[in-house]
Amino acid sequence: MALAPPPPANDRKRVKVYELKSNDWFDRGTGFCTGSLVNDEARIHVQSEDEPVRTLLETKIGRDEGYQKQQDTLIVWTETNGTDMALSFQEAEGCGAIWEFVSDAQQRLGGGPAADDGLSDEAIETFQPITLPDPPQMENLQEIENIMRAANSTAQGREALAKAVMAAEYIHKLVPFVEIAEREQSLADLHRLCNIMKILVLLNDTAMIELAVTDDVIFGVVGAFEYDPDFPSHKANHRQYLADETRFKEVVPFDDPNVKRKIHHTYRLQYLKDVVLARILDDTTFTVLNGLIFFHQVDIVQHLQGNVPFLKELFGIFAPQETDQQRKKDGVAFIQQCCALAKSLQPQARNALYNNFINGGLFNVITFALRHQDASVRVAGTDILVALIDHDAPLIRNHIFKAVNENTKPLTDTLIELLLVEVDVGVKAQIADAIKVLLDPNANGPSLEALARGNNEYMAKFRGGPMHMPPTEMFIQRFYDDSARRLFQALKDLEHRQSMDNLNVQEVLLFSHLVEILSFFLRQHAFRSKQFILQELLACRVAQLMACPEKHLKLTALKYFRTCIGLKDEYYNKQIIQHHLFEPILNIVFETKPKDNLLNSACLEMFETIRRENMKSLVVHLVENYRDRLQALDYVETFPALVLKYDQYNQIADQNEPLLNHDQSFTSTETETPNRNIVNGGMRWQGLKDHDPEEDAYFNGPDNEEEANAPATAKAPTNGVSPQRPLVNYPDDEDELPDLPTDPTTTSPPADSTATSPPSDSPSPSTSARSPAPLPSTKIAEKRRREDEDDDELGKLSAHPKRRNSSGQPGAEPPAAHQPPHGHMLRRKRSIQAGKDPTGKKIAISLAMKGDANGKDGA
Amino acid sequence: MSDLDQAIEQLRSCRPIPESQVRELCYKARELLIEEGNVVGVDAPVTICGDIHGQFHDLMELFRVGGDVPETNYLFMGDFVDRGFYSLESFLLLLCLKVRYPDRITLIRGNHESRQITTVYGFYDECVRKYGSATVWRYCCDVFDYLALGALVTGASTNLESTGAEYADPSQAHTIPSEDEDNEIEILNSNGHIVSRFLRTQPSHEPPSDPDSTSSPKPDSTRSPSPLSAAQPSHTPSATGAPGTSATSSSNGSSASNSGAVLCVHGGLSPLVDTIDKIRLLDRKQEVPHEGAMCDLLWSDPDEIDGWGLSPRGAGFLFGCDIVKVFNQKNDLSLIARAHQLVMEGFKEMFDSTIVTVWSAPNYCYRCGNVAAILELGEDGSNAGFTPRTNGDVGRFTGALGPGPGLKAPDAGMQRPGPGRRYRVFDAAPQDSRGMPAKKPVADYFL
Repeated sequence: MALAPPPPANDRKRVKVYELKSNDWFDRGTGFCTGSLVNDEARIHVQSEDEPVRTLLETKIGRDEGYQKQQDTLIVWTETNGTDMALSFQEAEGCGAIWEFVSDAQQRLGGGPAADDGLSDEAIETFQPITLPDPPQMENLQEIENIMRAANSTAQGREALAKAVMAAEYIHKLVPFVEIAEREQSLADLHRLCNIMKILVLLNDTAMIELAVTDDVIFGVVGAFEYDPDFPSHKANHRQYLADETRFKEVVPFDDPNVKRKIHHTYRLQYLKDVVLARILDDTTFTVLNGLIFFHQVDIVQHLQGNVPFLKELFGIFAPQETDQQRKKDGVAFIQQCCALAKSLQPQARNALYNNFINGGLFNVITFALRHQDASVRVAGTDILVALIDHDAPLIRNHIFKAVNENTKPLTDTLIELLLVEVDVGVKAQIADAIKVLLDPNANGPSLEALARGNNEYMAKFRGGPMHMPPTEMFIQRFYDDSARRLFQALKDLEHRQSMDNLNVQEVLLFSHLVEILSFFLRQHAFRSKQFILQELLACRVAQLMACPEKHLKLTALKYFRTCIGLKDEYYNKQIIQHHLFEPILNIVFETKPKDNLLNSACLEMFETIRRENMKSLVVHLVENYRDRLQALDYVETFPALVLKYDQYNQIADQNEPLLNHDQSFTSTETETPNRNIVNGGMRWQGLKDHDPEEDAYFNGPDNEEEANAPATAKAPTNGVSPQRPLVNYPDDEDELPDLPTDPTTTSPPADSTATSPPSDSPSPSTSARSPAPLPSTKIAEKRRREDEDDDELGKLSAHPKRRNSSGQPGAEPPAAHQPPHGHMLRRKRSIQAGKDPTGKKIAISLAMKGDANGKDGA
Repeated sequence: MSDLDQAIEQLRSCRPIPESQVRELCYKARELLIEEGNVVGVDAPVTICGDIHGQFHDLMELFRVGGDVPETNYLFMGDFVDRGFYSLESFLLLLCLKVRYPDRITLIRGNHESRQITTVYGFYDECVRKYGSATVWRYCCDVFDYLALGALVTGASTNLESTGAEYADPSQAHTIPSEDEDNEIEILNSNGHIVSRFLRTQPSHEPPSDPDSTSSPKPDSTRSPSPLSAAQPSHTPSATGAPGTSATSSSNGSSASNSGAVLCVHGGLSPLVDTIDKIRLLDRKQEVPHEGAMCDLLWSDPDEIDGWGLSPRGAGFLFGCDIVKVFNQKNDLSLIARAHQLVMEGFKEMFDSTIVTVWSAPNYCYRCGNVAAILELGEDGSNAGFTPRTNGDVGRFTGALGPGPGLKAPDAGMQRPGPGRRYRVFDAAPQDSRGMPAKKPVADYFL
C-alpha cells in the first residue's frame, strides 16, 4: 500500500476560484484553499473568505482531470463533469504547496496497484522517452515530423513529447530552418515545418504556447505557419502583420518592461487564436489560449490600476494643456479597452480599478468623449459609460446627484441632449441604450454585495449615508421631476402636429428611440413612469405615430401599446379607452387586411392577447365602440371571438348569475393572477363576487366614457395618481425568497413527469417547466456531453450577460432574465417575470404573494 | 451598374461594403421584410438550403452547384451567421440578393439570427473587428427581427423532371432506375452527376430502421468525408429509401402530380402551434424569445421519441414522429423541411419522409468533415401555374383559431404524396479558390 501523501500544511492559502463558462473565466469567489485526505481520498477544498460557512469548491482529485500548473500561481484542471476550473493563488508559495499535494495524490492514483511493486513514477514517466534528432537538420525534418506524429497519438506520448521539446529547447532549434528553407525555396520543408509547429502548438502545453510567443521564436513559429500544406498555393503574411509595430499604441509609456512584454505576448496569443490557428483550433487549445490571454490581461490591468504616476499621466492627457488631439482620442480608446477588460475582473479588483479611474477623472473623460466630433470617440464614450453603469449603477447615480447639487450639468442631461441631436445612427442607438441602463432599477451592479462585504469606506462615503432614500428610487424620481420632460418633449410636441406624413429621417429615428425608451420605462418604472405617462398623455402622442407612413415606426408605436396592455393595469387601459387609442390600431388592421404581413400579425397578436387574457374592460370598450368594424374583420377568428365574448358577458350580466362559473378562461385567468388584479384596484369586475349592480350599471350605461369611469373613480378616488402608490415596496430587489436555490447544480430539474408528459394539449405545464432557464441545464450538461459538443445551447448564453442592454427592443425579453443563476440574478429574473408575463408562472405568483400584496407594482 | 449591383459584386469577392451602404441595405431590406407574413408563401420551383454559418466560400460553392440567383429560386432556412469567419459577407450578400431580387430569394430566421446568440458565437465580434464598432451589428440585428419565421412552398411536383444529367459512375448506371420511372428522390453530386435515384414505392417495405438516426449527429473530424458511400446504389434500386433518407414508405403511387405543401422552418414544431395559421398570430418583430411558439419554431429538433420531449439545447422541444404526422395531416403538408442540425450526409429524411433536415455548411466549422446538401423542388406544371396558397390569401383555413370547413378532415393514415426531391450534395469549396480562412485580427492594441 502506497503511503498517503501528507496533506499540505494548511495555513490558509488565499485563492480565487474560476470556472470556465462560454470561454470566459467566471469568478466564483475568493476564499482559502486547503487540501485534505478524507477516507483516503485526496480533496481540494475552498472556503469562502467572506462567509466561512460557504464552500466555493470541493473536489476530489482524480486521475484524469488533467491538473496543470501555470505561471507559478495558477492551477487549472477539468472536473469529471467536463467543467474547466482554475485556482488563482495569491502567493506562488501557496500554489506550490497545493500543487505538490495534487501531484502526490495523482501519482498515487496513477501508480495504482503497480505502485506496490515499487516501480516509481519516475520510472513510468521515462518508460517511453521521446528521442528527437538533436540538433535538428534540414535533412531529418521528415523524421522529426514522423516521430512527433507518432507520439501525438497517445496521451503519454504527447506528454513525453512536450517534455522532450521543452527540455531540449527544440523550438529554438527549429525556427531558424524557416528562413533557411525559404532561402532554398524548399516548399516541402516549409510544409514539414508547418506540420511540426501545428503538432507542437496543439499539444496544449501551456508552457510551450507561452514560449512560442516570446520575441526569440515568435517570427519563426508564425513563419512556419505561413506555409500550410492544406493551402499549397497560398502563403500567409503573419510575420509582416506581427512585425508592424505601429499597431501597438502606447498612449502612456509603460515603465515596466515586464508589463510591456506581457502586452505584446497577449496580442500575439490573440493573433494565434484568431488568425494563425483559427481554422485548426480544437476546443482544448482554444480554452488554453483563452485562459492564457485572460490571466495575462488580469495581470496587466492590475498592474496599471495601482500605478499612480501612470494613471496621472493617462488622465493628464485630457487636461487643457494637452494639444495633441490624436493622443486624446487614443486615450479614450485606451480607457475603453481597460473597461472592457475589467468586465472579467472580479468585483473587488474591478472596484479598485474604477475607483482609481474615477479619482483620476473618468467622468470628465466620458463627458469629453460624448461631446467629441468623431463618432467613433462618442461610441467609445458610451461604451465606457455603459461599462461603468453595469459595474456599479448607484455609484454613477450618486455622481449625478453631486453634479445636480453643485449646479453643474448632470450626465443624464448630457445624454438626453446628445440623444436629441445625435445624427450618427450607431451612436444614437448606443446613447439610447445608455439612458435605459442608467435608469434601469435592476441595474445595481453585481458588485454591491462585494462592496458591502469589502467595507470600502471611500465608496460608502461616495454613496451617501444610509439615512438617505434608496438612491435608485430617488434617482428615478428625480428623473421624472425634471429630465423626463426634456427627454420626451419632442414626443409631446406632436400634439400640435397635424400630419404625420412628413416626418424627416432624423425625426423618425428619434421617435423610434423615444417610444422604445418609453416602453422600457413603462415596464421598469411602475408607478413613477405611470404618473408621468398618464399626466403627459404620452399614450396619445404615441398613438399619433401610428398614422405615419413609416411602417417600422408604426410597429414601434404598436409595441408600446402591446407593452401597456400586457401590464394589465386598469389605469393605462382607461387612458386607452378614454382617448380611443384603439382606433389607429384598428385602422392598421383595416389597412393591412387581409394581407399576411408583419404589421397585421402584430395587431392580431395584440387583439388575440386581449381575447385570450380576457381583458374585460378592453373587450367591452372595443365591442361597444367598434362592433361593426370588428364584425367586418372576419378573415380571422380573433375579432368575431371578441364580439362573442362581449355578448357572453352581457348574457351573464342579464341573468345576474354569479361570475364564478360563467367563463372558463375567465376563471382561470383569475386564479392565475389574483393578487395583481386585486391590488391594482382597477379591475373592478374581478374583485368581489357581489358587485353585480355596479357591473350592470356599467354595461347598461351609455357609451360615454366619463360615465363608464365613474365606478372606477369611486373605488380609486385619485384616479391615476394614487396616494398609496409610494407605499409600494419598490423596487423589489429586497423581495427575495431566501430559500431560492442559488446554485444551478442544486436546482433540481423539473419533476420527471413534466419532462416526459407531452405538453401538447396543455401548454402551461410545459412552459412553466421550462421557464427558469437554468433548470434544464443540468440535464443538458449530461446529454450534451454525450452528444454534440458543438451544438448551440441556450444554457451557454445564460453565462454570458454581456451587452445585455443593447438589444434596444421594447419587446425583447429583458436579457437580465437569463443571466447566470447566482442568487441576485435569479431573483431579478423572477421578479421581472412576475411583472412581465401575464400568463402567470407559478413561481412569479408565489414571489409576488410572499411579501404581501405590495409586490404587485414592483416588477 | 447600380449601387446595389456594385455592392453585390464587391460582396461576391468577399469584401465588406462600407457602413453607410450597409445601413441603406438594411433599411431597404426592412421595408421588404415587413411586408412578408410570418410564414411566407413561396412557389415551386425552389431550392431549399440549410445553415450557412458564415462559410462564405462554401456559399459561393452552393451557388455554383445549385445555380446562380436569379436563375434559381432560393429559400434559405436561417443561421446565416456565426461560427464561420465570414458571417458578415455571407449575410450581407444574401440580403443584397434579397433586395435586388425579392421574389427570387427567401430568407427566414434561424436561432442564430439573434442578439444574444451572435454575441457569443462570433458575429458580433466579427462586425466589431471589421468596422471598429457595433453599429453594423446593430443594423443586422434589426433586420433579423423582421425576418419571416417560416415559409410554405406550394405547387411542388411529385415527379422529378428529367435533367438529362449523366451518371457519376456510368458502370453502375444499370443499377439506377431510369429517369422514365416514377422516381421520388434523386441525388446528384457537386458536378451535377447522378449518384442514385429512389423509386416511389408502395408502403409494403418498412424503411430500414437506422439505430443511429435518433442521436443528433456529432461533429466528428475523424470521420472521413464519404457522404455518398451510403448512397451508392449497391443494393437494388427498388429498395426502400435512400440511406440517410429512410424514404418513401409513404405515397400512393404517382397518381397525384401535385404534392401537398412543404413547410420550411429553421428548427421545427411547437406544442403551441397546431396549425400553420397560428403562426400568423405571432408578433415576430422581437429578439428570439426563450420560450413560446416563436422560440420553438427556431429551436426544436425532431427525435425518435413519442410526443414531445425536453430539448437538450435548453430551448425548444424535441418532437416525435407522431407529432409530425398529425401536424402534416392537419395542415395538408407532405413534408417539413428544416435545418438546425448538422448531418454528415448533408441531408437526412426522417419519420417516413415526413420531415427532412437540410444542412448546407460543408466541413462545418472548418473541421467537421461533413458534406452539405441543398434540396430542389420542381414545379408542378400540370395545373397551369395555379397554386393554392395560404400566405396573403384568405380562406385556406377559415380561421386562425381552429379548423374550419376549409380544412379537410384528416383521413386517418392517409399521407400526401411527397414532392419529388432532388438533393445536390457538395463538399467544402476547393481550397484553391480562397485564402486561408481566418478571423480578422485585432487592428490596434493598447493593452
